Order: sequence, then structure tokens, then C-alpha cells
Amino acid sequence: MNLDISLSSDILFNIGNFPVSNTFFWTVITSIFLMSVFVLSARKMKSVPGGFQNFLEMLLEGAYSFVESVVGPGKAAKRIFPLVATMFIFILFSNLIVYIPGQSAVSLYRDGGSVAVFRAIMSDYSLVLVMTLIAVITTQIVAIAVVGPFKYLGKFINLKGPLDFFLGIMDLVGEIAKIVSLSFRLFGNIFAGEVLGMVMLFLAPFFVPLPFMFLGLLTAVVQAFVFAVLTLVFVSMSLELKEAEESKQI
Amino acid sequence: MELFQALGLNGKILLAQFVNFAVLVFVLWRFAYKPIFKFLEERRQKIEDGIKNAEQATQKLIEISEKEKEVIIEAKKEALNLINEAKENAEKRGNEMIKKAQEEASLVIVKEREKFNQEKTEMFKEMKNNLSELVVLAVEKVIEEKMSGEKDEEIIKKALNN
Repeated sequence: MNLDISLSSDILFNIGNFPVSNTFFWTVITSIFLMSVFVLSARKMKSVPGGFQNFLEMLLEGAYSFVESVVGPGKAAKRIFPLVATMFIFILFSNLIVYIPGQSAVSLYRDGGSVAVFRAIMSDYSLVLVMTLIAVITTQIVAIAVVGPFKYLGKFINLKGPLDFFLGIMDLVGEIAKIVSLSFRLFGNIFAGEVLGMVMLFLAPFFVPLPFMFLGLLTAVVQAFVFAVLTLVFVSMSLELKEAEESKQI
Repeated sequence: MELFQALGLNGKILLAQFVNFAVLVFVLWRFAYKPIFKFLEERRQKIEDGIKNAEQATQKLIEISEKEKEVIIEAKKEALNLINEAKENAEKRGNEMIKKAQEEASLVIVKEREKFNQEKTEMFKEMKNNLSELVVLAVEKVIEEKMSGEKDEEIIKKALNN
């Protein structure tokens, strides 16, 4: 038995010249599943909630009040909620389906070697990067909408003095660092959990991996929360730019 | 670029992931969050209205029962007044009637007495007349001599009046 650990996800098959990786395959399936569950339960809402509807209401209302507590009640919360809530739900669910037993045993023979059909969805850097880019670009858009494009640009390219110039460059680096830190935090945690689980299963298949699986479960929830909340915090920071500007003028 | 390759970054896959995530966000927002929140808001409104209505109903009930009590108390008062008035009236009337009856009775008694007295005097008169005639007759028979009627009578009257 040999362990093949690769940073990138493995290609399952090609559609035309589009390579379908195992993570992308499961991303699509998870998305379809989530969409159908949410849309169907939204259609079947009853005045007296039961079982799943209760859970759904609690989840969404809790999430919404949390968003309101961070960005303040009003239009901003309403606008940013869909993105942040979807990030949280999607990441959480993607991380949790790793724990369906038996899936890691399924593999596909292709080009002479075996390819695992299942891989933790968030251990695909391309997906994480896309979500991070969406989050960061959203913050930039919010910031530009709040303070105006030229003022926002002036924050980074400041020619008032050497120190101001340096701080402006640092701000620019900070914005780029957001992309790296946000994406690699999620990717690294899930990928590391995946590798750790694999190694543990390889070394001692019975009982020993259990504590690590529990740890992985904790990571799954915490990372989903952290990713969504950081996105929210970035956006609320952008929203507060105006207040900072106003207080500076006074 | 080696790093990108190692991480499996590829323009096509990135685009596909973006489209996938965008569709997920859009569908969940448009067909799940929005209707669910709308539904929750409607239900919240409904519950609020229900509670408000219930409160109003209790308030009204309390008001009504208070009013009822007031009405009952007033009615009792009025009834008592009426009874008292009726009693007073009855007493007054009774007294009046008794007085009237007494007056009438005394009047009747006086009249009767007067009548009686009159009759008595008349009787006496008549008796006197009759008696005088009788006496005249007796005397006539005794004396068998008829005197002139007038004189005779005069004499007898004198004698009787003495």
C-alpha cells in the first residue's frame, strides 16, 4: 500500500477538454444537494414548524442576527447576508460530508493508477481561491461604494510624505495578504486534516484515528465559521471606512 | 507558475468553480433565504397581531365586566330608591286615607247626631202637639163642654209650657 498525497486534486474524467477533478465533481453534487434541500424546504414552509424546518429557521435566523450584530442592522446586512451565509453553509456541509463512512475506499482506475473518487471539497485550492477572491473583491467594491473610487485609491498611493507613502504601500500589501491568509487558512486546515487522516489510517487503522477525526470535525465547523466571519468582518471594515474618514476630518 | 500547477490551479477549473459557487449563492438567495425570511416575517407579524388582539380582547372583557358591575350597582341603587319612594308614598297615602276616613267618620257622626237631634226635637214637637190634642180631647170629654177651640188650646199650651 502506498500513500499518494498531492496538493492538487486528481482528475477523474474529461468532458470535452474540460478536466473534471474529484473535488469539482463533489462540489457540483454538494451544490445541487444543498440547492434542492433549501429550495424544497423553502417551498414547504408551514406555519407550525417541525423537525427540519425548525432547524432551518434557527440556522438562518441565528445567522442573520449574527450578521446584523457585526455590520449593523439595515440594508448592508440584508445585502451581504446571502454571500456570507452561503459560504458558511457550503463550507460546513462540504467539510462534514468527509465523515460519511466508506467513501474514502472508493477509487477509480485511470491511466494505470488509481484515483480516489472522493476528496475533501475544501482541499481543492481552486475552489477556496475562488471563494476568497469573491470575498476580497466584494470588500473592495463595498469600500469603493462607501468612500468613492479616488479616495479609496488615495488610501494606497499617498504622496504626502515618505511615511504616508510607506503606510499606503503597507495597506496595499495587507489587502493582498488577505487573499493569501484567508484562502490558505481554510485550504491548509482541510488539506492537513485530510493528509493526517490518511496517514493515521495507514499507520494504525483501528481506534487511533478516532481522536484525529474528532479534531477534524471540530476543524470542519470552526473553519467554516472562521471563513464566513472573516469575510463579514472585512466587509464591515469597508463599511466603517466612511466613519473613519469623517472622524479624521473632525 | 510551478506552484499554481502544484496547487492544481487552472483557468478553466477556476471559472467553473466560480460559476458553480455563483449559481449556488444566487439560487439559495433567490429561492431559499428570501422566501424563508419573508415567511418568517409574515409569521412574526401574524403572531404579533394575534397577541395584540388577545390583549385587546382581555382589556375589553375587563372593561365590560367593570361596566357590568357599575350597571348592576346603579340598578340596585335605583331599585332601592324606587322601593323607598314607594314605601314613603304608600305610608303617606295610607296616613292620608286614614285621616280622611277619620274625618269622614267624624263628619258622618256629627251629621247623624244633628239629624238625630233634629228628629228628636221634631218628635218632641209632634208629641207635644199630639199630647195637647189628646189633653184637649180628654178635657173636652171631662168637661163636656166645648170651649172655643183657640182659647182652649192657648190655655193648654200655657199649662204645658209651665
